[in-house]
Amino acid sequence: MADPKSGAGTSQTKPPPPKESKKKDEKKDEDLSEEDLALKQQLELYVERVQDPDPGLQKVALESMRQEIRSATSSMTSVPKPLKFLRPHYGTLKAFYETMPESDLKKYLADILSVLALTMSAEGERESLKYRLLGSEGDIGSWGHEYVRNLAGEIGQEYAKRQTVDAPIEDLMELVQQIVAFHMKHNAEPEAVDLLMEVEDLDLLVEHVDSTNFKRTCLYQTNAASILHSYIKFVKIKAELKVSTRYLPGPDDMLVLDIAYTIYLKFEEYANAMQIALLLDNMQHVRQVFTSCEDVLKKKQLCYILARHGITFQLDDEMGGDEEDREPLQEIINNSKLSESYLTLARDIEVMEPKSPEDIYKAHLLDGRASAGGSVDSARQNLAATFVNAFVNAGFGQDKLMTAPADASSGNTSGNWLFKNKEHGKTSAAASLGMILLWDVDSGLAQIDKYFHSNDNHVIAGALLGVGIVNCGVKNDCDPALALLSEYIGKEDSSIRIGAIMGLGIAYAGAQNEQIRSSLTPILNDAKAPLDVIAFTAISLGLIYVGSCNEEVAQAIIFALMDRSESELGEPLTRLLPLALGLLYLGKQESVEATAEVSKTFNEKIRKYCDITLLSCAYAGTGNVLKVQNLLGHCEAHLEKGETHQGPAVLGIAMVAMAEELGLEMSIRSLEHLLQYGEQNIRRAVPLALGLLCISNPKVNVMDTLSRLSHDTDSEVAMAAVISLGLIGAGTNNARIAGMLRNLSSYYYKDASLLFCVRIAQGLVHLGKGLLTLNPYHSDRCLLSPTALAGLVTMLFACLDMKAIILGKYHYVLYFLVLAMQPRMLMTVDENLKPLSVPVRVGQAVDVVGQAGRPKTITGFQTHSTPVLLAAGDRAELATEKYIPLSPILEGHVILKENPEYREEN
Amino acid sequence: MELNHPVLVSVKWQKEVFKAVEIDTSQPPYVFKCQLYDLTGVPPERQKIMVKGGLLKDDADWSTVGVKQGQKLMMMGTADEVVKAPEKGPVFMEDLPEEEQVVSLGHSAGLFNLGNTCYMNSTVQCLHSVPELKSALVKYSHSGRSNDLDQTSHMLTVATRDLFGELDKSVKPVAPMQFWMVLRKKYPQFGQLHNGVFMQQDAEECWTQLLYTLSQSLRSPGSSENVDAVKDLFGIELASRMHCQESGEESSETESVYSLKCHISHEVNHLHEGLKHGLKSELEKASPALGRSAIYLKESRINGLPRYLTIQFVRFFWKRESNQKAKILRKVDYPLELDVYDLCSDELRKQLEGPRQILRDEEGKKLGLKANEKSSGAKDNDVKMTDAEGSSNASGESSATTPQEGAPSDKETRLTGIYDLVAVLTHKGRSADSGHYVAWVKQESGKWIEFDDDNPIPQREEDIVKLSGGGDWHMAYICMYKARTV
Repeated sequence: MADPKSGAGTSQTKPPPPKESKKKDEKKDEDLSEEDLALKQQLELYVERVQDPDPGLQKVALESMRQEIRSATSSMTSVPKPLKFLRPHYGTLKAFYETMPESDLKKYLADILSVLALTMSAEGERESLKYRLLGSEGDIGSWGHEYVRNLAGEIGQEYAKRQTVDAPIEDLMELVQQIVAFHMKHNAEPEAVDLLMEVEDLDLLVEHVDSTNFKRTCLYQTNAASILHSYIKFVKIKAELKVSTRYLPGPDDMLVLDIAYTIYLKFEEYANAMQIALLLDNMQHVRQVFTSCEDVLKKKQLCYILARHGITFQLDDEMGGDEEDREPLQEIINNSKLSESYLTLARDIEVMEPKSPEDIYKAHLLDGRASAGGSVDSARQNLAATFVNAFVNAGFGQDKLMTAPADASSGNTSGNWLFKNKEHGKTSAAASLGMILLWDVDSGLAQIDKYFHSNDNHVIAGALLGVGIVNCGVKNDCDPALALLSEYIGKEDSSIRIGAIMGLGIAYAGAQNEQIRSSLTPILNDAKAPLDVIAFTAISLGLIYVGSCNEEVAQAIIFALMDRSESELGEPLTRLLPLALGLLYLGKQESVEATAEVSKTFNEKIRKYCDITLLSCAYAGTGNVLKVQNLLGHCEAHLEKGETHQGPAVLGIAMVAMAEELGLEMSIRSLEHLLQYGEQNIRRAVPLALGLLCISNPKVNVMDTLSRLSHDTDSEVAMAAVISLGLIGAGTNNARIAGMLRNLSSYYYKDASLLFCVRIAQGLVHLGKGLLTLNPYHSDRCLLSPTALAGLVTMLFACLDMKAIILGKYHYVLYFLVLAMQPRMLMTVDENLKPLSVPVRVGQAVDVVGQAGRPKTITGFQTHSTPVLLAAGDRAELATEKYIPLSPILEGHVILKENPEYREEN
Repeated sequence: MELNHPVLVSVKWQKEVFKAVEIDTSQPPYVFKCQLYDLTGVPPERQKIMVKGGLLKDDADWSTVGVKQGQKLMMMGTADEVVKAPEKGPVFMEDLPEEEQVVSLGHSAGLFNLGNTCYMNSTVQCLHSVPELKSALVKYSHSGRSNDLDQTSHMLTVATRDLFGELDKSVKPVAPMQFWMVLRKKYPQFGQLHNGVFMQQDAEECWTQLLYTLSQSLRSPGSSENVDAVKDLFGIELASRMHCQESGEESSETESVYSLKCHISHEVNHLHEGLKHGLKSELEKASPALGRSAIYLKESRINGLPRYLTIQFVRFFWKRESNQKAKILRKVDYPLELDVYDLCSDELRKQLEGPRQILRDEEGKKLGLKANEKSSGAKDNDVKMTDAEGSSNASGESSATTPQEGAPSDKETRLTGIYDLVAVLTHKGRSADSGHYVAWVKQESGKWIEFDDDNPIPQREEDIVKLSGGGDWHMAYICMYKARTV
């Protein structure tokens, strides 16, 4: 309803109804209420008066018209009445406008025309914008939201048009400034970001955040930051959507994130800024965050974020202050206390009691079908038990096979179990000690020490590997792993060499350590070195230099590949070389191109394989739809010459698509199609790809698919499916998967190879008794840990040829999984970094990007007290106001600060 | 010289930190290690000291190592005993010769299907589970062919012996090529071709024929009585009474069969009923009194029990319309423990009573010792009585059976008329000449194994009695029971 007051206020002279109105009009008028009719007549009068030659009368008419429109625009349900009644006169006014001389009045009319164009202008005419630019440039918000929104849309189109003809855009940008300011003021931040993206000037955002910030109160500051966070997510989604329709070049989203980083830094939201810096993989930014941050406690939180991400980072004076301040910070980054907090969690959840493989197999639940015989040890089953024991008791420091107390009745039992493994099995057994003592370098080294003095080369190799595993993700000033392992790199025995080299790869993944590079690269081009040593050297270098694009390492691996003879190129181990090369470019997108070009010169046998592997690695974790399509295209071809590149292509789909939920779901569906139409080598890789997509995240549909495939007639498909069942359930203790695997263990009780896979999968499901995850994504699924992904990918590539590697004598590649192992916990600590138990709500995360207001971020929550386990897709929030978390994302270690405004009730 | 200044470092060893350890830089690092030996008890040769990414060598020069005042060093090493391999390494299954792997496997191997030969495979698997038959076959090798035996029977017996031996020795499935060839030679009907492939056959026929051949060849030639090992194991003595209602004539006869038939009619729901049914039959034969053929009622009773009681479910009948052996799908339950006492003749029943009482007592003791103790006073007499009775019976039995069987090994064990299920041959499908035959055999360990050609699958005992028919699942066709003896 129009405001009767305004109508009455402006009507001094009420004219008689115009006679020329037709019958039809009269009829229509009759439908209108008396008030509306009055309004209509009033407006018609103004239109007439505007055309009056007298400028004074014109002015009054325009003013009144504006008044009418303004007072009405607030109603949003339908086209406002004044606009509706003015519609028939739009043409008249437009025509009159053209005849008017240049004056303030003309601008006035332009303003009104601009508003009228909101409903009248034909599609693509952009008249609203046109008249706006011609108009008086008054407060843009005075015409209401709808008008601004419409204008913003037209600006986007106009901008694109002007860009193509290279027309100046200054006038537009001025308007953009106004609109952005308006949006920011009115909680329409996504629209502002949207507009700025369309006019390709996101930098403006920083300015406007500032001005808003300036005016607003302190309270708003913190809120603004959280809203800003949603901008970034919003922008990300925008970018993803664009990718799916039109490929948005990489630098664009980099720019968006860069802006976000600047904003966070400006608001002193260092934790968020750090996350963006890591997302951009920009060490310069990471340093800047440290130098900008003054608060030591906040710096500690930053260190926790870095530690979880698993990168090697050295603080200097500028970043960490003097040595006394720096040391505790560096200690956090080095993960020195990770073992301690993990054990705190384990004690809190009361799972310290070591578990034996039999506790995991639960054979008593399989009546009648339990393992037949059992009087004689099977080397393969003992090896499986070794792995199960290692995975289940990972990080707990005690188990029932390797570390069982020496004063037990049978004497030194650990020695006994070690020697219940055969030949290379002893390597894995000795190394499993490293897994059990994971992250606890001090006692780990002490316990492994005894194996160094063995006279069995396999045991020494295992000890070396174990040292590497213990040091995985943990850095130490003395570099014990480097000191111990580098001694053995050049040894005669190739199993010892592999143990040392692989140990270095695991301990220094992502460290980009020059010293190791200079000692490992010569091996690659050593004509006398056996193929397996070369393959593991390449993988270790790939891990140490993961995502670094290091030229020298790339060169060395390329030469090693070129040196391979025709027959060697057919070996499954040789295929680890292209993977190593790929790891160097993990997630680095275009940077891989030069190397990919070189790979085209390779021997035909490996060329395609190398090409696809490089592509998969370079775009891993980007969600780039074009690359997924490209890889799918490779899977369509029917191969005749026994080529092997389709396996990596299938894995590549998973590596690229795992970045975000939507793409992930879509690729699960594509993989289903591949299963139905693909050839055998594709079908063998599909379960592994599914395993990577849903790692430590047992989605029911994927579980069903894998369960079906685990009975496949092709035993390699079945093996891959079984392993993948373990991967998707890794560290979840998922009862359904555990049941499936138990039944599979009786189904395959006779098939030693498949039974081995089932056992490994069972061990994985109970990884760390359910306290660990293999998911390389962390921090609200926002950040991807490169070393974790590299470890997973290496293991999966090895699984592409299960028989030759995992079931052969290189089963210890399973230990590459250690790179991805992280406690799936929320551990809250006080300002002295001591564990602090507080109530938290844990529930399913809800996507709140782009939603208005302050929506609930979790659903179906339960309240627990920390430390608490977080499942895939879970999010936690504090259930008390007493503390303020220093990180916006409650995952891993979070430092809590007491809330000064908190008042205890009662 | 500043080198002579003692350098103080802290050394971390396991969880301990030794602060302010003095290094005399004029002495070789070995001296420093000896210092640490005093602190930690780790002998110098077992110490590994890490200095910034490298190990400290015993003869290194401190100036090149470059230790700084207050530097942190890390030492690794324990005084623990070095792990030694046990004198005798464990034996792994993978390393064992095949025969021994079988033992640890707990069951014998499967048999490859050579093209619709599942009927043969399942028959062989069932018979293979009879150890007495195996030992009789082993003995056969020594005796050689007797003159009255034809060549093909001899070959079949040898082939059976070899196949049984192979099954016992191997882990992997066995291909019964030789046996299959000889079987076809001996019984050409099994070589029937249909569209160029061998046809599926009736397992019962194979079973009967094979047993017949073996019974021919396994007579011990040395003995004048011509003892028949197969008959000893499987033969059932039936005493039949023929009664003609019309004329009132009665005659009786005895016969020896290798299996009892379980006839399946509408009233039969249980094996026992079927067996009873099978022992009564009507037949038309010439009546000497009437001078024409008349209906005779034949009633049979068991007069002598075997150690292995074979029961055939008469599931197949010739269906003229479809020109095939059609199958009766009716569900007929069978027990894990079968008592044939009431099918026996009065004479046999008397013989059985003694052993049965002993068996009952033994079971009673096992089940409830307490109950026995309580009524021990009253029981005493009973025991004595039964003892006496038993002994008299035993002598009676042995005297009765000796002329028939003459097997000296039999003397210690006496039959009770109670039998335990040891093997089931099942059929799945709608006619005898099609579908699939599978053998379910109880192993010595007490576990049941389903031998589906080359694939032995462990099964639970409670699932075995579920093969009683009434659907399209496997259903029992031939059951083999083993006598429970005392």
